[in-house]
Amino acid sequence: MAETHSLQDLQQPAVSSKVFVQRDYSSGTICKFQTKFPSELESRMDKQQFEETMQTLNNLYAEAEKLGGKSYLEGCLACLTAYTIFLCMETHYEKVLKKIAKYIKDQNEKIYAPRGLLLTDPIERGLRVVEITIFEDRNIGSGR
Amino acid sequence: MPSFSGGVVGGGVGGPASAPPRPFRPSRYVPVSAAITFLVGSTTLFFCFTCPWLSEYISGVIPIYIAVIFLFTLANFCMATFMDPGVFPRAEEDEDKEDDFRAPLYKTVEIRSIQVRMKWCSTCRFYRPPRCSHCSVCDNCVEDFDHHCPWVNNCIGRRNYRYFFLFLLSLTTHIMDVFGFGLVYVLHHRQQLDTPHAAVTMAVMCVAGLFFVPVAGLTGFHIVLVARGRTTNEQVTGKFRGGVNPFTKGCWRNISHVLCSPLAPRYMGRWWNRQTVEVQPPFLRPSLTEAQLEAKVLDNGIQNDRHSSRSKSSLDQMESQSADIEPPPPPKPDFRYPGLPRADTEASSLLSEAPPTPSMYKYRPAYSSPGRNHTGVTHPNKMTRGESLDSPSPSILQSSRQPSYRSEPSSLDGATVVGRGVGVRRGGGDRGEGPGGPGGMAGVVSGGVSGYSLAGRSYTSYPSSLVLSTGGSRSSSLRSAQTVHNPLATLQSEGTTDTSYKSLANQTPRNGSLSYDSLLTPSESPEFESAAHELSPQKPHVPFLSTAGGGRPGVAPPGGPLQGYTSPFLSAQIAQQREGQLLQGSTTFSSPHRAYLRAVSPPPSSSPGAPEARHLLHHNQDLTSRIPRNPSSSSSSPGARSLDPPVSPPPRGLSLTKSPVHIGETGSQHKPRPVGAGAVLGGGGVGGGQQAPQSTSRPALANHTTSKPVGGVKKVTGVGGTTYEISV
Repeated sequence: MAETHSLQDLQQPAVSSKVFVQRDYSSGTICKFQTKFPSELESRMDKQQFEETMQTLNNLYAEAEKLGGKSYLEGCLACLTAYTIFLCMETHYEKVLKKIAKYIKDQNEKIYAPRGLLLTDPIERGLRVVEITIFEDRNIGSGR
Repeated sequence: MPSFSGGVVGGGVGGPASAPPRPFRPSRYVPVSAAITFLVGSTTLFFCFTCPWLSEYISGVIPIYIAVIFLFTLANFCMATFMDPGVFPRAEEDEDKEDDFRAPLYKTVEIRSIQVRMKWCSTCRFYRPPRCSHCSVCDNCVEDFDHHCPWVNNCIGRRNYRYFFLFLLSLTTHIMDVFGFGLVYVLHHRQQLDTPHAAVTMAVMCVAGLFFVPVAGLTGFHIVLVARGRTTNEQVTGKFRGGVNPFTKGCWRNISHVLCSPLAPRYMGRWWNRQTVEVQPPFLRPSLTEAQLEAKVLDNGIQNDRHSSRSKSSLDQMESQSADIEPPPPPKPDFRYPGLPRADTEASSLLSEAPPTPSMYKYRPAYSSPGRNHTGVTHPNKMTRGESLDSPSPSILQSSRQPSYRSEPSSLDGATVVGRGVGVRRGGGDRGEGPGGPGGMAGVVSGGVSGYSLAGRSYTSYPSSLVLSTGGSRSSSLRSAQTVHNPLATLQSEGTTDTSYKSLANQTPRNGSLSYDSLLTPSESPEFESAAHELSPQKPHVPFLSTAGGGRPGVAPPGGPLQGYTSPFLSAQIAQQREGQLLQGSTTFSSPHRAYLRAVSPPPSSSPGAPEARHLLHHNQDLTSRIPRNPSSSSSSPGARSLDPPVSPPPRGLSLTKSPVHIGETGSQHKPRPVGAGAVLGGGGVGGGQQAPQSTSRPALANHTTSKPVGGVKKVTGVGGTTYEISV
């Protein structure tokens, strides 16, 4: 059974605006984003949800940048192998970045996309901002 | 050894660097080549000539040890050379809309209760994170920028500082080893120094000894830096001299951070994971609380507050403290999302930042925007806000045209207030608010009353000089059809280009001459002086042009300080004339200009100062608005206002008579185009021709260089090298 879709349905809705959540530098240069709920999103999603997302992201980045035994061993190993280990091994940070990307995708699918929002991985912006794209809320069937 | 930003070593997929292609400069590779030659060459010679004897007669471990050290040195050298130091990718256009042309040049953040300034990078189009700096050699912003090292032909930043540091350590060790063991060899072969082996060993020792001093010195320097948790950039620029370093975590932690922290990720050349998540309406919405519903109904005021709080939070502080006066880097105007209440956001956010002190006006004169945001011609976003003011604005405009300028101070104050909110965010710090405000809001502001209500804030204490600036901008706004550009905004947008920023930064005095005080005593300020110079009636037709050509003449105009104060605004307005707008703007410009000229033609005996300035401004407005009327109805200024028509040469009269027409035009044009906070900042008269008068105010302010007048058309170069033509 063929369903007819209007062109609008099939196309990605237009971008209404973008919100940029900036970095929180209060604790230094560690990667941390502000958890304050932007006012543009007030009508689109729950504050708590947003803050939870940001907090999780911050925790993940903190984990990535942690000065622990793992990173130390990695450094030593790299030294010993004249850094050739980097050709075959993924660094700790990169591993966590993959985790973060997965988490963001997950959040987008579950929470943000149904609300017409989209989180952009901050690594694409050099870890400076978290970009949240707000899509136009268009009713199905309404004119463009 | 070319250095490319894509990190070859360092793991991860690497795409080509997305930095713009740079011209191939072979001279950049000379130090690197020399370093490699010396390092590899000397060590090879050492291995070939000295080591056999050493391993035989001293110990076999020595060559192995030296080889290990040498390999370590080489590995670190390669990492320091080829590794991406932490280059930030350029911000996309969408992002810098948020920090639009009214944004200040600096943004302040608090790091461990220490204020740190983030500067706007006009190349990369974002506010540089703390410790980030833009490398002019590589033309990139680098995270935790240390320095650009010519010996490795690469920037040293967050990602490769550790390798650089280890390279220095290992190189020092290697040099010492080579020198030491070479010395051992030579001492044992004192009688056979003429053999090639000895000769080579001695040559290697010489090279090693020669390089030891600078390398060891640099190593020691960096050991101290690492222990203190500073970068070379911070040390050399004396950022924390006598102050506290917010980035230090203690000696031990600093060292462990440098040596043991995880390798930071590369930002450039990543294969972006394109969002594959589909977003389709209908969208879920949270249930609105009653308060929220009410807020929606009330729209302006509340929304502004919300926006202001939003922008405040998202931007930490937009205040900029700064002793630095640098041209603002206005991004392009906000086209992309028409209909969005961005004007509200910006305006409200700006408004929310009521400048606490007059220092907010500090950089006003310095702003000249090359019109980046002058697309403010059609600033749909700004229009939103402006539209909200639309109803009062026409009446305001009308009232402004009326002779009752004296009553304007109140309105001007209001305008100032609002304008400030709207205005200048970028552009060297504090000044943002003051100048921007008046200009922008001049047209729109409904006598400041609406501005007050709109802003939802009470701007109470504005010094009279604000009125001055407001007045100036007002007159310009009257002339400009659409967007009201306050001089500041104009300056800002003019300062957008890199060259202009740098030039402005270089030229801008750091002694605070652009401070509020300079507004009061404009003669002291170079910008004012230059502007005043422009306005000085030395030559009847294009005084400002001729003088402006000199760039920043430090000569006080004959008119003295009296002219000075006005010049920033007026001359800026004039200077901002653009080709398309020449005809329209010129007459209007010339009229106020001439009004000023006339006003200042009598020797300015009175002391320059805000009151004078204000009077003059009002006077100017009076003139412009009342051109058809008797110009003798001068403003209240006691001083030098000779509005006598005989003083003015015929062209002036002509221009004067024309001015009302233009004003009328602009006035009418104002209606359909409420100035809107955003428009003000357009500065540089972007867009419509009518804007020219307004916009020229900015660029003229600082560092104009006027080009030769062309048959009645004067070319004024504003800040940033933009040239405007003003027809005389």
